[in-house]
Amino acid sequence: MSDHASASGADAGAQEDLACTLLSKHFGEFTAVDGVSFSIPRGAFFSILGPSGCGKTTLLRMLAGFQQPDSGDILIKGKSVLNTPPNKRPVNMVFQHLALFPTMSVAENIAYGLKRKGIPKREHATLIDEVLAKVYLPGYGDKRIDQLSGGQKQRVAIARCLVLNPAVLLLDEPLGALDLKLREQMKIELKRLQREFNTTFVYITHDQSEALVMSDQVAVMNNGRFEQVGTPQELYYQPKTAFVAGFVGDSNQYAGKVQSQSGDLVTLVTEQGVCLLSHASQPLVAGSPITLFVRPEVMQISTSRPATEQDNCLAVTVSRVLFDGAQSRVQVETAEGAELTVALPQTADFQALEAGRSVHVSWQASQCLCFPAPADTKPPGAP
Amino acid sequence: MSEASGNFNRTQYRLGFWLLLAPIVLWLSLLIILPHIDMVLVSLRERIASRQYGFSFGNYTAFFTEPLYWNTFVRTAVMSIVATVMTLIIAFPVSFYIAKVLTGRPRIALFILCLLPFWVSELVRTYGWMILLRETGLISGALQWFGLADQPVEMLYNDVAIMVGLIYTSMLFMVVPLVTTLDSLDNSLIEAGYDLGGSSWNVMRSIVIPHAMPGIMSGCIVVFMLTLGNYLTPTLLGGKSSLWFTEQIYTQFITRFNWEQGAAFGILLLILSSLIVWLGLKITRQSFTRVMS
Repeated sequence: MSDHASASGADAGAQEDLACTLLSKHFGEFTAVDGVSFSIPRGAFFSILGPSGCGKTTLLRMLAGFQQPDSGDILIKGKSVLNTPPNKRPVNMVFQHLALFPTMSVAENIAYGLKRKGIPKREHATLIDEVLAKVYLPGYGDKRIDQLSGGQKQRVAIARCLVLNPAVLLLDEPLGALDLKLREQMKIELKRLQREFNTTFVYITHDQSEALVMSDQVAVMNNGRFEQVGTPQELYYQPKTAFVAGFVGDSNQYAGKVQSQSGDLVTLVTEQGVCLLSHASQPLVAGSPITLFVRPEVMQISTSRPATEQDNCLAVTVSRVLFDGAQSRVQVETAEGAELTVALPQTADFQALEAGRSVHVSWQASQCLCFPAPADTKPPGAP
Repeated sequence: MSEASGNFNRTQYRLGFWLLLAPIVLWLSLLIILPHIDMVLVSLRERIASRQYGFSFGNYTAFFTEPLYWNTFVRTAVMSIVATVMTLIIAFPVSFYIAKVLTGRPRIALFILCLLPFWVSELVRTYGWMILLRETGLISGALQWFGLADQPVEMLYNDVAIMVGLIYTSMLFMVVPLVTTLDSLDNSLIEAGYDLGGSSWNVMRSIVIPHAMPGIMSGCIVVFMLTLGNYLTPTLLGGKSSLWFTEQIYTQFITRFNWEQGAAFGILLLILSSLIVWLGLKITRQSFTRVMS
C-alpha cells in the first residue's frame, strides 16, 4: 500500500512505469482485449484477476511484445514500445511453466540475459551470486535445472529476470503448478522480492487469493474489459459491478426484485419470497430485477434470536455442516427454501451444531450489496 | 505356500522373457554376428594353393600398400561427411519450419511432401536425377533453349552429381529425427530466449540447437551410415570416376572373386564408420544412448 501511496503523490507522468491506452486485440470475430486503459505507478504490485478466457494472457503477451495490439498504445517509462520487438523491451516475463532452459545450469540461465545485455563477463559471477542470495538460493549456481524442486525453479525464473533490472516484471500465473503449501509460501516470498527489488510487477492470475494477498492494485478483468481497478480492500468491500462482487471473495447470490428504495437502503424480495434489506450504491426502479450478494463471513449465526436489532434476521434450519478448520461453513435453509452458506466460527458454542438444528442468521443491510441483474445473463458465480 | 507360488510365477515370467527375446537374439546372432565373425575369419586367410588356405594379414597390408584402395577409402569418408553436413544444413531450416512455424494441415502436407519421394525405389529416384542431369537431359536442353549454352552440357559423372544424389537420398532420414526433437521444444523456451534480450541468432545458438542436439546427432549418424554404405547413387551418378569404397568391395567379391580381400575391405569399412560416429559423439559431447532414445 505504502509504495503505491507515495508513488501516486509524486508527479504521475514521470513515475509511471507502464501505461496502456485503449488497448484492443481481436482474433477473427473474437475480441480478446477490448479497449483496456490503465497505468501503473512505479514500484507497484499490480494484478490482473479474471476467469480463464477473459483476455488476461493476451494482454500480458502484448505487454511483453509477443502479440501486436490491433489498436491502442503501450507506454513503458513514458515511451511507446509498440514498434519495439520483445528482445528490446525493458520488460521481462516469468512464464507460466517458467521456461527455464533445461540445457543450461542455474548460473548459465541467469547469465543468458546478462550476456545479451552486454554486461562484461567478469561481473557475471558477482551479479549471479547476489541475485541468488536474494532469492534465498545461495550456492545453487552449478545445479542443473532438473535437480531443483518446484519452488526453487520458481525462484530461479524470477532471479533470471530480476538480475536484468527490468522496468516491469510480467508474471503469467507462475504459482499455478505449485502445491497449496508452497503456493502460500511463494505468495509472501514474491511480495518480499517485489519490495526488495522495488520493481513494478504485473501479475496475472485467476486465483483471487493470490491477487488479494500480494497486490497493491488489482484489476478485475472479464470479457476483455477491466470491470474495476482498485486496492484489494476496495474490490472486496466496495465492488462496483455484479461480476466483481461475485468473483472476488465468496458470496451467496440471490435473484430478486426491488420493492422500494429509501436513500441507499433497498427493500427487496428474493425469488423464494424472502424479504430482505440491502445497501445499494445506485438508484433502482421498484420492481426491477436485481442480484443480491451476501458474503458468508458477514452473517452471524446464533442459536437464539439475537438481542440487538438486526436489519436482516432469518430463522433457518441447518442442512449441512462443512467442516474445514478455520474455513468451516454451514449450509442452512429458510422456511421458504432459500439456501445460504454461512461462515461457522470455531468456538465452543457451535461445536455441537448438526444438520436439522434450528438457528438464526442475521446481518446488517450495509454488509450486503445488490446490483441490477443483467437482462440476459446471470453473473458468473463464486462457488 | 505363497513362496512356492511366487517361485512358480517367477519361473513363468522368466520363460516368457526368454521367449519374447528369442527372435531378436536369433536375428542378431544369425544375421549380424555370425556373418561378421565369418567375415573376419575370411579376411584373415590367404589362398596358398587350390582349396588350401593359411592365416595371413596380407589382405590388410594390401589395402595400405595399394594407393588406389587407400585413396578411395579416404575419399568415401570425406565425401560422406560432407554429404552429412550438407544434408543437415539443408534439413534443419526445413525441419524448423515444419515443427515450429507451421501448424495444422500445411504442416502435415509439407511433411508428406518430404516423405513422398521415398515411395518409389532409390533406383527410380536416381534415374530421375539422371534424366535431369545427363547430356541430353532436361537441364542441358533448357540451357541451350535459353541460349546460355551453345552445345549439350554433361552434368553427370562428377562429384557434384554424386553429392546431389546422396543429399537427396538422405534428406528424409535427417528431417524425421529433427522434426521430432524440435517438436518437443516448448515454444515458451523460444519466447523466453527473446524476452531475456536474445536475438534470433542467440535463440537458435543457445536454446534451439542445444535442445535439438540428440536429434541432430541421430540424424547425422543414420545419414552418414547410409551414405558411406551407399552403392547405387555413386555408381549411377558418378559413373566410372565415382571411386566409392563400396564399389571396391563389390569388385573384389563379384568381379575378381577375391572374397578374402572383399571381406577385409568390409571389416575396414565397419571400423571406419564406427570410428567416425564415435568421434562425432565425442566432439559434440553426446552419449550414444541419449542420441538413440
